[in-house]
Amino acid sequence: MNIKRLLFALALLVAMPVMAADGNEILKKVDRNLEPESYEMYRKLINIEPSGDKKEFVLYSVKKGRDKVVALFLAPASDKGRATLREGDNMWLYIPSVGKPVRITSLQSIIGGVFNNADILRVDYAVEYNAEGVEEQKDAYILALKARTNEVAYDKLKMWVDRKLLLPTKIEAYAASGLLIKTLYFKDIKDFGGGIRRPATIETDSPLYKGYKSVMLYSQLKKREFKDEVFTLNYLSRVEDLRK
Amino acid sequence: MKHAMPLRTVAAGVALLLATAASAQEFTFDASEFEKKPFEFSGYIELKQQHMRLNQDSALYKLGYYNQPRDSIDQTTLTLKPEGKLRSGALTLNARAHLEGDWATQQFDRELRFDEFYGSYKPDPGLTLDAGKIALKWGKGYAWTTVGFVERQKDPNDPDLARQGFTMLTADFIRNFDGALRTVAFTPVLLPVSADVNHDFGGTGHLNAAAKLYLLYNDTDIDIMFLSNGSRSRRIGVDFSRNLGSNLEVHGEWARIDDTQRQVVNAAGAVTTLRQNASSSYLLGTRYLTENDATWILEYYRNGAGYDENELQSFYSYVDTAYAQFAGSGNSTLLQRAASLSRSGVSRPNPGRDYLYLRVSQKEPFDILYFTPAITLIANANDRSYSVAPEVLYTGFNNVELRARAFFLGGGKYTEFGERVNSRRLEFQARLYF
Repeated sequence: MNIKRLLFALALLVAMPVMAADGNEILKKVDRNLEPESYEMYRKLINIEPSGDKKEFVLYSVKKGRDKVVALFLAPASDKGRATLREGDNMWLYIPSVGKPVRITSLQSIIGGVFNNADILRVDYAVEYNAEGVEEQKDAYILALKARTNEVAYDKLKMWVDRKLLLPTKIEAYAASGLLIKTLYFKDIKDFGGGIRRPATIETDSPLYKGYKSVMLYSQLKKREFKDEVFTLNYLSRVEDLRK
Repeated sequence: MKHAMPLRTVAAGVALLLATAASAQEFTFDASEFEKKPFEFSGYIELKQQHMRLNQDSALYKLGYYNQPRDSIDQTTLTLKPEGKLRSGALTLNARAHLEGDWATQQFDRELRFDEFYGSYKPDPGLTLDAGKIALKWGKGYAWTTVGFVERQKDPNDPDLARQGFTMLTADFIRNFDGALRTVAFTPVLLPVSADVNHDFGGTGHLNAAAKLYLLYNDTDIDIMFLSNGSRSRRIGVDFSRNLGSNLEVHGEWARIDDTQRQVVNAAGAVTTLRQNASSSYLLGTRYLTENDATWILEYYRNGAGYDENELQSFYSYVDTAYAQFAGSGNSTLLQRAASLSRSGVSRPNPGRDYLYLRVSQKEPFDILYFTPAITLIANANDRSYSVAPEVLYTGFNNVELRARAFFLGGGKYTEFGERVNSRRLEFQARLYF
C-alpha cells in the first residue's frame, strides 16, 4: 500500500510540470515541425482579388536561431532586390533605390494584400506567444496563445494543431480589441526532404479584406547554417550572395 | 429509370467541371526557375509629364525668366535606369546607369551618366570591400538628412529617388554579439577630389576620409559619422532609430559642421559673408501606422547653416529692386548678380532654417488593392510658407507603377515657397520595371 502511494505521488510529481508546460511544449514542437531552427527556403506569395486577378511575389528567406529572419524579393521586377530583416522585435526594409534600410513595423505590409510583415518574417511562435490554455479535441489541440509583448503583431492567436502530426491546421489572429484580423489555413502536407514534412501551402483571408485571399507556397525548404553577420542592417543589400 | 443514365452523365459532367474549377485554384511553385545567375540585368523605364504654372511675381521666376517670360512650362521626361550585376566567386561588378531626355517648352536636354559603377569583394558576410562610383546613404531622416556627409543632397519631394554616387574606396566590417549590444559595423570611406574625379564634391586636391560606426544597442539603431576636413569642412554626426511598438517608430539625427558660411545680401545689394565656427543641424521624426493602415510620417528639420527669415526676405527684396532696374532700363546686371548669389544659396533646396514635413498615406482604401493615395506637406516653419502635394499611386499592374501628383505652393510675399518659380505643378509618371 505504501509503495502504491509512493508510486502515485511520484507519478503525480512527474506529470504535474508536463501538464503545466503542455501548451508551450506543443507550441515548441509545432515550431520545429514547421521548420528547422536555421534554414533557407523559397516562397511564392499570391494575392488574389475578388475579380480573380492575381499578383505574385517570390521570396528567398533564411532564418537562424529562434528570432533572426531575412527575406529577399526575387520577383516581380518592380520589387526585385528588396530585402527585409527581422531580429526579434526589430524589422527593417531595404529598397535598392532608397539605398539604406529603414525601420518598419510588424503590422505594415510591404507587399499589400492580406499578409503583413509579421506573416512574411515569421519567427518561432514560441518566441512571440505564450500558451495560456489548451483545449483537447479528438484529433486536435486548440491552443489559446497570448502575445508576450505589445510589439507582436497579433495580440492573441487561436491555433488548431493536428494531434498526430503536431502541425497547425488553422490559426485565427486577433487584435487586442478581440477583433478577428485574419485566418490562416495550413494545407498540402509535403515531404521537403531532410526530415522536413510540413504544409506546403498557407492560405489566408481576412474580414478586413472581404473577398480577397492570399496564398503562400513553400519550395526548397532545407536546413542550413548562417553566420550571425548575415542578419544585420549592413548585410541587407547583399542577401543575394547567400543563394547558391 | 429511363432518365437515370442521362442524370448520372450530367452529374458526372458537373463533378468534372467542379473538379476542373477546383484544380484551377490549385497553385504550384517550383523555385528552380529562380536559380541564381552569374549575370543579371534589370531596371526601369519611366515617362514623366509635368505641367508647371509659373509664379510670375516670384523672385526665382524673375531671376530665371526675366528675358524669356512665360506663364507655364510643359515638360516631358523619358528616363531609362538600367542596372547590371556580374558575379564571379567573391567578386561582383555592379553598374547602374541613368539616361534621361527632357523635352520642355522650346528646349531639349539630355543626361547620360553612371549613378553607380563599382566592384565588390565579399570574402565573408562580415567583410566587404567596394571600389568605384558608389551611392552611400547615411542617416535615418525620411525627407532630409543632416549626416549624409558623402552623398548628394536628398530632394524632400522625392526622398526615395535613386541618386548619383561619388567615386570612393570603402569597406564594411560587421560583427554580431550576444547581449544588449547586438551588432557593430564599421564603414570607412576614402573619397578623392580632383579636377577629374568628384569635382562637384568640394575643393579639389584632397583625399577625404569619412567613417560610420553602426551599433544595434538595446533594439535601437545608432550611427556615429565623421568626415575629415578637406574638400568640405570637418563634420561629425550621430543618428538613431527605434520602434516603440508594433506601429510606431521614432528617429533623429544631429550633425555639427565646422566652419560654415553663407552669403547674405541686403535690399540695397550689399553682400556680407557670415561665418560660423560651427553650426549644428538636427532632425526629429516619427512614423506611425494607424489601425486603418494610414502611415503618418512627421519630421522637424533644423538647418543650422540655413538662412533665417530676415535674410531670405532681404534677398527677395533685392531681387525686386534688381528686376525694377531691368524693367526700367533693360539693364540686367543686378539680376545676373542676384542669380549668381541665389545659385550658391537661396535657390538650393531647403535654404531656410526650420522645416516641417508631414506625409499621410492611406494603404488600399475602400478595399482597392495596390492603390495608395497620399498627401505631403513641406513647410518653412519660420515664414509659414508651404508646399502641399496630394498624390495617388497604383501598382496593380505587374511591374508597372503609375503615379499622379499635384503640388500647390503657398505663402506670402518674401516667403520661401511664395517666391519659388512655380505656384502649381501637375505631374504624371508611369514606370515600367524589367
